[in-house]
Amino acid sequence: MGWSQVSAVRVHHPDTLDEATALLRDLDDALVYGGGTAISVLRAQGLLFAQDWVDIARVPGLADLTTTSDGLRIGALVPLRRMETDPQVRRLTPLAAQTYGRVAHPRVRNTATAGGNIAHGDYRLDPPTALAVLDATVHLTSAAGTREVSIREFFTGFQQTAVAHGELVTAITVPRQPERARGTYVKLRSLSENDWPCASAAVLAVPEDGFVDIRLGLGGLAPTTVYLAYDVTPDMDVEQAVDAAIDIADSAMDPIPDIRGSARYKARLGRIAVEEGLRHCLKELAG
Amino acid sequence: MTDTVVPTPLPEARPAEPRHGVGDRRTRFDALGRVRGTLRYTGDEGAVPGTAFAGVHRSTAPHARILSIDTTAASGMDGVVGVVTGADLAAVLGDRMVTGPAFADQPCLAVDKVRFVGEAVAVVLATDLATARAAADEIAVEYAELPPVYDIDDALRGEAFVHDELRPSSVFADLAHLRGVRDTNVCYEYRQVLGDTAAEHAAATTTVSATTWTPPTQHVSIELPSTTAWVDSGRLEMLTTTQTPSYVRQTVATMLDLPLSRVRITTRPLGGSFGTKMYDRLEPLAAALAWTTGRRVRIDATREEAFLLTTRHGAQVIGTISADSGGELVAVSSDVRYDTGAFADVGPRITAKSGLVAPGPYRIRSVDVRSRCLYTNKVSAGPFRGFGVPQVTFSHETLIDELARALGEDPYRFRRRHLLREGDVATVGTRMHSADFVSCLDGVTAAIGWDEETPPGDGRWVHGKGVAVGFKAVLTPTVANATLNLNQDGSATLLISTVDMGQGSDTIMAQIAGEVLSLDSRRIHVVRADTDATPYDTITAGSRSTYHTGNAVRLVAEAMRDKLIGFAAELWDVPAGVLVLDADGVAHADDDRRISLPELVHARFGAAGATVTTAENFTSRWVPYDHDTGRTEKATEHWFAGAAAVRIAVDTWTGRIRTPHLAVAGDVGRAINPTLVEQQLTGAALMGLGHALFDELVHDHGQLTNATLLDYQLPSFADVPERLTPIIVESAHRDGPFGAKGVGETGILPIAPAYSAAVRDACGVRITTLPLTPERVVEHLEDRS
Repeated sequence: MGWSQVSAVRVHHPDTLDEATALLRDLDDALVYGGGTAISVLRAQGLLFAQDWVDIARVPGLADLTTTSDGLRIGALVPLRRMETDPQVRRLTPLAAQTYGRVAHPRVRNTATAGGNIAHGDYRLDPPTALAVLDATVHLTSAAGTREVSIREFFTGFQQTAVAHGELVTAITVPRQPERARGTYVKLRSLSENDWPCASAAVLAVPEDGFVDIRLGLGGLAPTTVYLAYDVTPDMDVEQAVDAAIDIADSAMDPIPDIRGSARYKARLGRIAVEEGLRHCLKELAG
Repeated sequence: MTDTVVPTPLPEARPAEPRHGVGDRRTRFDALGRVRGTLRYTGDEGAVPGTAFAGVHRSTAPHARILSIDTTAASGMDGVVGVVTGADLAAVLGDRMVTGPAFADQPCLAVDKVRFVGEAVAVVLATDLATARAAADEIAVEYAELPPVYDIDDALRGEAFVHDELRPSSVFADLAHLRGVRDTNVCYEYRQVLGDTAAEHAAATTTVSATTWTPPTQHVSIELPSTTAWVDSGRLEMLTTTQTPSYVRQTVATMLDLPLSRVRITTRPLGGSFGTKMYDRLEPLAAALAWTTGRRVRIDATREEAFLLTTRHGAQVIGTISADSGGELVAVSSDVRYDTGAFADVGPRITAKSGLVAPGPYRIRSVDVRSRCLYTNKVSAGPFRGFGVPQVTFSHETLIDELARALGEDPYRFRRRHLLREGDVATVGTRMHSADFVSCLDGVTAAIGWDEETPPGDGRWVHGKGVAVGFKAVLTPTVANATLNLNQDGSATLLISTVDMGQGSDTIMAQIAGEVLSLDSRRIHVVRADTDATPYDTITAGSRSTYHTGNAVRLVAEAMRDKLIGFAAELWDVPAGVLVLDADGVAHADDDRRISLPELVHARFGAAGATVTTAENFTSRWVPYDHDTGRTEKATEHWFAGAAAVRIAVDTWTGRIRTPHLAVAGDVGRAINPTLVEQQLTGAALMGLGHALFDELVHDHGQLTNATLLDYQLPSFADVPERLTPIIVESAHRDGPFGAKGVGETGILPIAPAYSAAVRDACGVRITTLPLTPERVVEHLEDRS
């Protein structure tokens, strides 16, 4: 353990998880440093003011990506690029692999981490849309112990997450994507191709006994990632299924107008993303 | 002096070609250093111990009186060595602290009044950068807000004024008549009048009008501005990121009331610039701080601060074009309004140079151009690749495209019929030479298969094609100088003040000199601009260097050739006329006498490593605009001609535009280095693509809302068209070095109008406001239906 100075910030380098959580407990305003891709930018913009950074790079085990009896356990420091390319991720949760592969560009994906990504809490992030439809669980550790929070409840408000003072994200567990399910991620930009999404949707269609469970994760369309689900019953054709998806998405969208588009335009893109994603999944299921 | 030179045997055969002379595809000499990061830029220089780092406190008000500046908290911080306000500098420098190329309207720190959000108000000097910046945040300024001038309409309404009176600088003599003019935000107006447009419009059979808007944008060069200034033996010295070292020397000398010999401006290669590092950026402030405090002062701009230093001009153009029953162009009227922000910078020059081409490169019977430069309470706008011309190009190409459609004619062939040809006189009164618009237009339309069928739509995606030309005058008059040292070993050192910022000027200047001297251009080193050593050069900008500095380099190499032949003539006691210089040295045309350059120089001076020096000048001249008509027989030393054609697909659901093929052409006279020419055309086209589709600085009540790279958009590799074809057109210029002209801006001019024409073709909607964002496209589609 030790610390170094990066301009006006103290950077702590704990060697163990206990040291890390002790620092997070004892420091007033500490920020966990993972890949640093968001933190360094936000700090340069004057949007982050934390005086202490806790760099968890030396903490053992946090970069492990393991398969479990029912899916994946993703250590907080697993790079996004590995989530995109790892054969186990592609096999067990293809939707997650696809979605992680759509984040920014390879240089960011090589550096940014799975834990840091969700801890950032931005409503436009790509991976949370897929994690929501895959019903992932976030593991939070503090000096007091560990607790689990559903990813669907992890994003609590604009740039807000369930991470409490003293806690850090240590892992994300993702149940294996049901064998017969079909999923896809649709990312629509309004400005340059490397920009944040203006609207995005992860869609997973899960065939159940007598109906198809449709799960939607919406990004950029409300102050937080939005999770929605409904059933497509045998009496519904594709058009009706699409109409239902758009209706339910419409009811949940609350876009923030900004330079990427008005609320009206973002909602329009949201409907298109949902429709494109759903049609793709239903076609794959039918095929 | 030692003189041990081993005479080299005369080579029996000429060295193998190529020599990397004119016309050869030589790689940039610094290409590896640039991509590997081993080339050292200005900001890479380590700080000398004792350096004071600057943190700048900036205005939060768009237009306000400064009531008080409280520097107590900042001054008390550990590491802070000084806090300087505008009043402090004014006490020492007086009015000389207010600089600017056209108007003396830029205080290096605000005095009494602020004129835009982000204007520098006070500076903290500290022993490290972080402390300087943190302390700058602790400065408290009390403002009394004044009525703001947010935009062009506010500026023209004339109720509030950004400056109390106009103060032309001494640099541009033709602005002197504006001195002391009060109660206006119009700092310059250019008029061009040919014939009777009112009568021609009235008699015309077809008339098309459009009001176009091109928003302000930022250059976003990768390298950020950085300036270090210090005092050495009573001289002010500086290392800075600038395209205009000669201008900076003059400005600093004037500001500090020093002879030019006591100011030294040094440079390193720039990591891109596009106009952002020109004229008065960080340099006057750094010089004033170093001079008044005696400290070595370093100012590094952050990315966010770079957005506050300069932008491209937002411009509105209200245009009308008319044709007679035979389809001839009878009248163009153009009301051009450039938003120059809080400081004029070179806005007045942009207003004139762009106004003179506002009607477009066509045979037009009558024109009426009114081009105005307007102060507003925004970040100062200045030069940006294209120098204001892309803004008027968007207008004249929108008009001609729509006129062709109104007449039921093909937009490509309609333009082709009316384009200016060699020998024609442009509306500004100047004859055309070496501006082959027709070949450019033919080249780009052929490349994208203009006459091939456009793919049918699928209900969601629709397809279209668009074409446009670009027309620009080179900055005239300007001055270029070159000094050449031929080294005794047959290598050479070329001293010019052109700044290599990635365009490859050092590479091609060596090719020009090498061509004249029959030297491999890789043996010629080009010295980085240093005003103690390299001679005056107006600016590295406006695509002027290849022609102007290139001509000075050609002349200085020719003088060197003559001098070397003269040495041999004396040595052999023969007339110079019987001697030639070739790749092996000097040879007698009529016998087998031959001497290599190392032997010749050694024979002359008896010293290994001796140098032979020549110096030459090239100055271009113009004829000033006629007072009443704005016309002149020589508006420009030469013309730039370009064209672009594009095939696009539009997603009618989202409004997003995809580019299957973009072709861009430029007439460069003669390509000194075809590879670099193609790269300039390609780079300009991609920058133009950004301006066409999403680049835009957004303001809200005078505040920039997207001045960070989180929100400001630039084209990425993923935005590059699926096919991008650069096309070199060579219509040699009679006075260009080997016929050559510049190319840095040509490719950007026609891109946005080509895209908007393609959207018109694909969707039937004419969008006259840039950028063509998906939301804007969707809105137009909804309005149509």
